[in-house]
Amino acid sequence: MPDKIKKFLSSGTLFVWFCGTAVAASLLMVGGVLLLIMINGLGFFWPHALMELTLRDGTRVLGELKGEEVIPHSETPEFPEGKTRVRLKVGNRDLYGLDFRWVDTDQIALADSPKDVAAFERREWGNFYGRIREIAKGEDVVATGNQEGWKALQPLIEWANDLHDEIEHLQRDVIGDINFDIEETRLRIRELELRAQRESPEVAELQAVTRQLEAHYQKHVATLRALSRQLDEYSVLLVETNGREKRLPVGQIVKALRPNDMGLFEKILRYFMNFWSVLSEEPREANTEGGIFPAIFGTVMMVLIMSVAVVPFGVLAAFYLREYARQGLIVRVIRIAVNNLAGVPSIVFGVFGLGFFVYAVGGTIDTLFYPEALPTPTFGTGGILWASFTLALLTVPVVIVSTEEGLSAVPREYREGSLALGATKFESMLRVILPCALPGILTGLILAVARATGEVAPLMLTGVVKLAPALPLDHHFPFLHFERKFMHLGFHIFDVGFQSPNVEAAKPMVYVTTLILVMVVIVLNLSAVAIRNHMRKKFKASAV
Amino acid sequence: MNQANSTAHPVEGTPPSSSVLSKSRLRALRRWTDHGARGVITLGGWATIFSIFGIFAYLFIEVAPLFYPASWSQKTTVEIDTSDEARQNPRNVAVGINEYMEVGYVLGGRGMAFYTFPTGSPIHLESMPDFEEGDVTALARSPGKDDVYGLGTRVGRVIPLYVTFRVTFEDGVRTTEPVVTAGEPFEAVPTGDPIARLAYRETDSGPIAAALTGSGRLFLTKMQESEAEGLFALEKESELLRTEIIDEGVEALSVLLLDDLGETLLGGTTDGRLLYWDIEDVQNPRLMGMYSAGTSITALSYLIGDRSIVVGTEKGTVSVWMSVINPDVGGDPRLQKIRDLASHDGAVTAVSPSLRDKGFLTADASGSVAVHHSTSSQTLIRIPGNGTAILAAMFAPKTDGALVLDGSGRLITYDIENEHPESTFSSLFLPVLYEGYEELLHIWQSTGGSDAFEPKFGLWPIMFGTLKGTIYAMLLATPLAVLGAIYTAMFMHPNIRAVVKPVVEIMEALPTVVLGFLAGLWFAPLLEKIFPAVVAMFLLIPLAVVVVCVGWQLLPSRLKGTSGNVTELAVFLLVLAGTVWLCLQLNHQIESWLFNSNYKGWLQATFGLAYDQRNALVIAFAMGMAVIPTIFSISEDSLSNVPPHLIAGSLALGATPWQTLTKLVIISASPGLFSALMIGLGRVVGETMIVLMATGNTPVMDMNLFNGFRTLSANIAVEMPEAPHGGTLYRLLFLAGLLLFVFTSIVNTLAEIVRQRLRARYSQF
Repeated sequence: MPDKIKKFLSSGTLFVWFCGTAVAASLLMVGGVLLLIMINGLGFFWPHALMELTLRDGTRVLGELKGEEVIPHSETPEFPEGKTRVRLKVGNRDLYGLDFRWVDTDQIALADSPKDVAAFERREWGNFYGRIREIAKGEDVVATGNQEGWKALQPLIEWANDLHDEIEHLQRDVIGDINFDIEETRLRIRELELRAQRESPEVAELQAVTRQLEAHYQKHVATLRALSRQLDEYSVLLVETNGREKRLPVGQIVKALRPNDMGLFEKILRYFMNFWSVLSEEPREANTEGGIFPAIFGTVMMVLIMSVAVVPFGVLAAFYLREYARQGLIVRVIRIAVNNLAGVPSIVFGVFGLGFFVYAVGGTIDTLFYPEALPTPTFGTGGILWASFTLALLTVPVVIVSTEEGLSAVPREYREGSLALGATKFESMLRVILPCALPGILTGLILAVARATGEVAPLMLTGVVKLAPALPLDHHFPFLHFERKFMHLGFHIFDVGFQSPNVEAAKPMVYVTTLILVMVVIVLNLSAVAIRNHMRKKFKASAV
Repeated sequence: MNQANSTAHPVEGTPPSSSVLSKSRLRALRRWTDHGARGVITLGGWATIFSIFGIFAYLFIEVAPLFYPASWSQKTTVEIDTSDEARQNPRNVAVGINEYMEVGYVLGGRGMAFYTFPTGSPIHLESMPDFEEGDVTALARSPGKDDVYGLGTRVGRVIPLYVTFRVTFEDGVRTTEPVVTAGEPFEAVPTGDPIARLAYRETDSGPIAAALTGSGRLFLTKMQESEAEGLFALEKESELLRTEIIDEGVEALSVLLLDDLGETLLGGTTDGRLLYWDIEDVQNPRLMGMYSAGTSITALSYLIGDRSIVVGTEKGTVSVWMSVINPDVGGDPRLQKIRDLASHDGAVTAVSPSLRDKGFLTADASGSVAVHHSTSSQTLIRIPGNGTAILAAMFAPKTDGALVLDGSGRLITYDIENEHPESTFSSLFLPVLYEGYEELLHIWQSTGGSDAFEPKFGLWPIMFGTLKGTIYAMLLATPLAVLGAIYTAMFMHPNIRAVVKPVVEIMEALPTVVLGFLAGLWFAPLLEKIFPAVVAMFLLIPLAVVVVCVGWQLLPSRLKGTSGNVTELAVFLLVLAGTVWLCLQLNHQIESWLFNSNYKGWLQATFGLAYDQRNALVIAFAMGMAVIPTIFSISEDSLSNVPPHLIAGSLALGATPWQTLTKLVIISASPGLFSALMIGLGRVVGETMIVLMATGNTPVMDMNLFNGFRTLSANIAVEMPEAPHGGTLYRLLFLAGLLLFVFTSIVNTLAEIVRQRLRARYSQF
């Protein structure tokens, strides 16, 4: 028998099993993380049922069920397993102060999910869960009771949302434009002053323009006020499950749902509508609610600018290293340098970007081209251009390595054939080798984009903000505003998850953002892998 | 380079029109295009490569000023008329200069004169308060942002005097106009004797003065101001509190100093003693201690913040003292000399503290001037003298210059270049005795509430945190990744490998901000709950693997299939998931079995370790996860690149797969494994977001697995947005970046060289 054990041990099977378990552990971790993100992220859009619990002391709790657990250290002889408690999202932050509440299971006398309760998504204070008592126009009651009120509320919400859009349009587009023009005029006047032309007729003209713009501004502000008043005309008296009332202007409600009254199809429809509104809307409530459109937009813009910057550099460097440079010690050193660059921590690039791009280059641009705006910096502060350039530096090794790989996969026969037919080196490069290496370049670009999409640390120093007042692309000349700060999905996760005052309430939003970010990154990576495999296969076939 | 690129394009577009060109011209054109393209590509290649080295150079350029020596230059010399009296009684003279170093003044017993700098032309003031010219026998500066003086007179009164600079802008041109006002005089010596030595300080509760008469009597006077509610408005009431201090040594006093709260009086004596009174209760001063400073004390000054005291002596020694509370002796504070700075050749005649940092300027009787910095214990500048004693000196408010008056009536301004006095190699990397601490410590605390805060730039705690995070993460990641790679490369069926490898590599693409978020907000609170289960997992999983492995051998091979197939992987997954599930289910039981039902208390009691929610263990998991795919992927590559004919040969010679693995494959691939670990290490060292989000970011120094730390990278992310451009903190954060850059470069270069060697070796087969 000991012989058998000895043999078993020396066969190494046990060690192989440990190795296999290590693989399994890695797989389990990847799977677990992806699953966690999926469940939490995708679950966010589902209209969850509302539970109304009646407790033993007669009070009631209404909210979404968010989990159940064993109360720590609650094991008693009677309950060897320990007592349990459930966690509900009770909303009504303005009334209760907290969004979540723990309820001990043994306190619950009755659990019910009534069809007539509704979840009201509000512009402020988060969700309200409860019923409608009455709807009023000014002082006059329009509808009373939950049923009647619910029927009357739906068209009112639609009306209020339309009005809200109009106000938004007025505020952002019309008044925003006027403010933009006023600022432009102010800068123009300042510019003339700096050139010692304070007395010139142009200044007077511009001042007149400013006055005119200000008059316009006042007019629109008056319209805006009128609209806002109109919005507050209708109010709804809501009542939470224990009878506490809350009067709310209808304009405060974004949408109202009765999830317990919805059919499966309706819920699925609502699911996709919720998904779309997160993708397309602006954030609300310090980014913890609403949508993430500006963050998506900012990420895409930054990645595009970065691509424009990184591809020429990376491709040229790779062509030089692979096709032109004499292979030797210098090229070896350069390869090592490129690899080193790939290994340098991203925060170091952030530091470099801040020092070099923002302060050195941006500061110089400001003094040369934007003296009228000083001391407010234009390019001398973080902005989308500097963030993109910083990430371009960060990802240039990826493009170089991928392009080199693409170049090395081009069979030698192609090169030799082209040269033998009389093409110059550049011509064969352009017509033969570049098309063949294109998948490699594309792979590099996609990998670079994937890396840049997920990178946050360098952006924090070079221009990302939690809430950007304007998108970096709009209808004002020159349309692309490279100096503007921007929002980013990755930073959104950091900011909402760690800097917001109510982390618990913000968590679902973070999971959704995470889901979208992870999906984008994984899709990009998989497509890069697919292109690379395709390329390898193609050249393998043609090389034979 | 983009420009160069675009010039190449039009040329490339010419071939269609080539029919017009003669053949030779076409050939020439093609040749030129080829040369041009070569030039452009070479240029582009070099530009990219240059920029890589440029990053290093730029980081270095930003860091270098930290270690530049300070420099000085003499700017203006004005000959003024000083009376003999001033020369005989230098305590009766003061100089001052405004923050732009444009207007300076000399204040003496006979009056006051203003000068414009750098021209040196005198300014005539319209109105000057009457401060009993000629009767001033002693004067004292009340240190602080404003120029406030107490003038002690021949009849024992103290006149507060305020010098302010009114700045007006017209057409963007700044004009500075000095304004002098005098406050309400009060009696400081009840006997009406002349004041010989004076300390004066304006505190929040009113001015306070310590006056020594020529006959050696010391009086402490405070104008206690309080606001009382009057009939119509708040009325200021003031009450004069006075005591005579009669302690041993008073008659020998040569200098006096009051702190900004009016709670401490310090005196230096001609026999080299430093006297320390607690005067919180003005009417009942207590002598707290008497300390020997060697020889006669000639100058005393607080540094900004009023915690460190600079003591200058007749022999020219300059030392910094601090009040510390000795825990052994009891609650009373006592003075202690904490550092000596470079000595002067003559007696120290003036000390002027900086208004922005813990630096100060000293001047001596031989005419030389020095600039020191307390925290970094260094003397930055020594301006040699010409033998004429300096009567008064002032460190410019922005510490960029000095104004000095010497005994021959020369008023001299200096420009001082002294950007980063806080940073020396030893103040960054060696322990320092900071204000308010008892011992030499490594502390990183870059910003504080007020200007008087002493920045603590000890980099070691952050470097330590970086090492701590790296070590724990690598301890977790290395075995998982390397063992996993061995299995995947050697034992796994190629078809499964084609799926498994990309799946693990997806993890590499996972943004670290996502891992950081999950680690901080999901895993950290979860781990706090299931800690006993996690401990049990580390013990039970290996056990379970052993048990199942042995059991598996007993199964008929018909069921098992070939080694490395899907069934085997499924068994691994099942064993693992099953054990994890079991541990989670038994969490409470495990806690009561192993940890006495309260693991936090148990940790505290058994090892003295505190458990924070966001701790190094969380980081180990999160960073481990970030780095496993990197190490896994490179290790797997190097293992599967071992030439198959070597393996086949080994197996053919009768070696078991296990022997082939240990005796051949691992050894052949070890350089590859090494470079995998190095690259993984480089990644962990610089990881930012995970550490930022999942630790408390407190720069503490211990290896406790259950509390947080702060790393170089997280430190940059936390502090860089607040660091003023060009300041010491800004450059120190660049230094942190440079350290990371250099470290990862070394590690990566090592890895790359090893890898290139390996590649060259296998290309021979």
